Amino acid sequence: MSQPTAPSSPSRGRVVVAVLAVLAAAVLAGVSPADAVQGELVRIMYVHVPAAWLAYLAFVVTLVGSVGYLVTRRFVFDRLAEASAEVGVYFTGLAIALGMIWAKPTWGVWWTWDARLTLTAIMFFVYLGYLALRRATAEPAVRARRAAVLGILGVVQIPLVHFSVVWWRTLHQPPTLIKPDKPSIEGTMLMALLAGIAAFTVVYGLLVARRMELARLEADLAAAEASLDRPVAGSAVTAPELGEAR
Amino acid sequence: MRRYAKFLVGAGILVAVLGVLIVNLNDNLVYFQTPTEVVERPAGDARLRLGGQVVPDSVERTATETSFLVTDGRVAVPVRHVGAPPDLFQPGIGVVVEGSWDGETFRSDTMLVKHDENYSPEDPERPFTSP
Repeated sequence: MSQPTAPSSPSRGRVVVAVLAVLAAAVLAGVSPADAVQGELVRIMYVHVPAAWLAYLAFVVTLVGSVGYLVTRRFVFDRLAEASAEVGVYFTGLAIALGMIWAKPTWGVWWTWDARLTLTAIMFFVYLGYLALRRATAEPAVRARRAAVLGILGVVQIPLVHFSVVWWRTLHQPPTLIKPDKPSIEGTMLMALLAGIAAFTVVYGLLVARRMELARLEADLAAAEASLDRPVAGSAVTAPELGEAR
Repeated sequence: MRRYAKFLVGAGILVAVLGVLIVNLNDNLVYFQTPTEVVERPAGDARLRLGGQVVPDSVERTATETSFLVTDGRVAVPVRHVGAPPDLFQPGIGVVVEGSWDGETFRSDTMLVKHDENYSPEDPERPFTSP
């Protein structure tokens, strides 16, 4: 059992960097031009695309943590996989919500069952299942092993989600950035989009670091509680007083 | 070793199921049909989704209907849409209309706008009304 250690606070420098990155991205998203077709609605892209990108990144990091745990059996990898999956589920949900807000005024509907939207929803629920699996298993080593298997299998969905718009005919438009041709977006708008992606990624890094720290403290707490002096079973039973019977 | 064997079997089953699903669902994964496809495959009265670009200069609006041609660059299909089109609807933009054939005309009651993946500032020479 490792000796419990005090929680470390996040370095002030990292928080300052995150705040500056978010502010810079917000300014760029505000000053970039309106789109020829969509007008001001295009600005939703500067948060929707970064959120979707982080979903991909987070689940790839969960894959790395899962493989790392199975190879080394060190719990720090399990904590990385768990923290990244939790943050990833949050950003997947955010990408879906922002996408719906973007879809209603542009496409005309909040939601439709095209391949991209359907596969994204499935990915969201599979990783919710990953988090549920973790809560359903109490023993740390068993939990880490089962979660690692799902953390590895789940990553198959990322190429399915990303290339669904290329492989099948969908309502969702194909990728603007990650595709064989050069990005089909004007320079200032590209800057705003990349700044958004960078800012979201910095925030993701902070969240994962904090969540890993919390997971370590939880593990220490569980270990400390397990080793406490507990009343022995049966100690509440008192010997019967039989009186003066002879 | 048994653990890895079990893992491989599980992974194999998952991949097989995914493969079967994707191959069998391929037709359903296609969200809409192109004008060329709907002209080649007679659908009778069945409802279907038709997608393509709105031919510029083909749009005619009345109080309750919008008529226009939808093309994939080869074939143009006349569409009569009942109801208000989405705000972004305009000549030249991509649309997906849902409905069925009414003679030679495709009669639509649901229209979605399919914008493309290209983003550029408003053209100063082309007046643009914000949606």
